[in-house]
Amino acid sequence: MYLTRFRVNTHRSDARRLLGSPHRLHGAVNASFPTPPSREGSGPRVLWRVDRNANSETLLYIVSPGRPDLTHLVEQAGWPASDEPGWATFSYADFLTALHAGDTWGFRLTANPVHNIRHEYLKEGERTKRAAHRTPRHQMRWLLERQERAGFEIVQKPEDRRLLPVGDEYELVVRDQIPLQFRRPQAGEEPRTRAPGRADVQITKVTFDGRLRVTEPELFRRTLTHGLGKAKAYGCGLMTLAPVRGEGEA
Amino acid sequence: MSVLLLRLAGPLQSWGSAARFTRRTTENAPTKSGVVGLLAAAQGRRRDADLSDLAALEFGVRIDQPGSRLRDFHTAHHSDTLKSMPLSERFYLADAVFVAGVSGEAGLVQRLYEALLEPVFLPYLGRRSCPPSRPVTIAEPSEGELEQALREARWEASGWYRDKRTASFRRRGQEAPDDVRLDLLLDSPADPDRLPDITLRDLPMSFDPRHRRYGLRGVRTTETRVPIEPGARPSSPPPPPHEPTSLLTPVTPRTD
Repeated sequence: MYLTRFRVNTHRSDARRLLGSPHRLHGAVNASFPTPPSREGSGPRVLWRVDRNANSETLLYIVSPGRPDLTHLVEQAGWPASDEPGWATFSYADFLTALHAGDTWGFRLTANPVHNIRHEYLKEGERTKRAAHRTPRHQMRWLLERQERAGFEIVQKPEDRRLLPVGDEYELVVRDQIPLQFRRPQAGEEPRTRAPGRADVQITKVTFDGRLRVTEPELFRRTLTHGLGKAKAYGCGLMTLAPVRGEGEA
Repeated sequence: MSVLLLRLAGPLQSWGSAARFTRRTTENAPTKSGVVGLLAAAQGRRRDADLSDLAALEFGVRIDQPGSRLRDFHTAHHSDTLKSMPLSERFYLADAVFVAGVSGEAGLVQRLYEALLEPVFLPYLGRRSCPPSRPVTIAEPSEGELEQALREARWEASGWYRDKRTASFRRRGQEAPDDVRLDLLLDSPADPDRLPDITLRDLPMSFDPRHRRYGLRGVRTTETRVPIEPGARPSSPPPPPHEPTSLLTPVTPRTD
C-alpha cells in the first residue's frame, strides 16, 4: 500500500477546473495508475481526498495498492519546472502492520454520511431512497454508528472539558459541509441531449477531525485501505492518521 | 436629562412625513412622529390619547446603515366587497439600521424603557408591515446629553455591510480606516439666529385617526465618527492541523 501527497498549484486554471469537479479529479487519479484499478470491490481500492488547509495549501492525498505516477497532474496542476518532484509517495504497509489495539491517533476523514429513507407512499419491498445527513448531530451519529464495525472508537472527552450538556461527548468535530451536484456524462451520449437533472450526482461531503482509539487492528486496516461510507470515487471515505499532540490540546 | 437609545433595524422600514394619498413616500431616516408613535404604542396609549409629553422629548437619529430605497406598486381589494382599493405606490428603506435617541425627564424615559421591554402594542418601523429584526432597546437609559450619547453609541451596522465596506476599500487598494463616518440628524434648538438645515412636518400633535395633526420640526444635520471595534466578526476557524505522513518512510524515486 502507498500513501501519496500531491500539492495542488491553485493558481493554475487547470487546477481549479480539477478541484471544481470531483468527476474530473476522479478520472485524473485513476489515470495515474498504469494498470487500471480493479473494480470488483474485494481488494483494497484507490481512495483520495482533497485537504484545503489554507488558501495556498491544498493537498491531494491518495491511498492505493499500487504506486501512482502523477506526472500528468504535475503538468496540469502542479509545478512542472520546479526542482522538487511534484509529489511524494510513502510506503504505507509497514505503518499499517504496526497498528495495535489501544493506540490513540488523531484522524481526519472526509465522508458522505447517508441513510436510507422510506417515503410514505412506497410499498413494502420497493426501493428506499438514499438521503444525506444534513446536520452535524446526525453526521456525528453516522460515524459513531460505524466505529465498531470499522475497528476503532472515538475517544470520549473528559467531563470537565465538555462545553455542552448534550452533543459534546466525543473528541470529534464536523466541518466543511459541501453539497456537491455535478453531471456524469454517460458514454456515447451527447451531454446536451440528455434530460436535465437525470443522472446528476448529488452528494454531501463533510470532514471529520478527531481522535480515535484502535480496537480491532484487522478491521481498522481494512477501513484505512477500503474506505468508509459511500461516494469513494468522488473523494470520500479516506481516513488518515496523525500522531496526537500533547494532552489538553484540541 | 436622561437619554434612551433605540436600535431601529429590520428588513423594511418606512418613515413617511409628507406621505399623502396614493404616494406613500419615506424619509431617509426615522421621523419623530414615527418613533414617538412607537413609544406611545409600547405604553399602550390609544390613538386619541394626549401625547404632548412625548412630543416634547428631544429627538435625534444616527444613520448607521443607510439601506436602499424600495418601491412597491401596491394593488389591493377590499376583503368584503372585493372592490379594488386605489392603486398606490409605497416606498420602503430596505436593510437599513438606525440608532434613534430620545432625551427628557428621567422618570418618563425610564417608564418608556420599561414599556419597550413589555410593549402593549408591538413596535414596528414606521409601517405596520415592517417589524424590527432585533429588539429595539439597546441599553438602559443613561444620564447625559442626547447628542453626546448618539456620538458615542456603538456602530450597529450588520456584518455583511461591514464586510462590503472593508472590501470596497480593499478594491481601491486602500487600508480600511478604523472608524466610520455617520450622519446625525438632531432637533434644532429654538434659536432665532440659526435656521435649521431641514424642516420636516413630523412633530406629532395628535394621532387621532379622524384628524391627525403634525407640527413643523427643525432638524440640524451633522456627522460623527464612530470607531469600528476590531474582531467584531470572527472568521471561521482554520482546520485543525493534520499531517498524516510524518511517521511514514518515503519511497525513493525510481532512478532508471
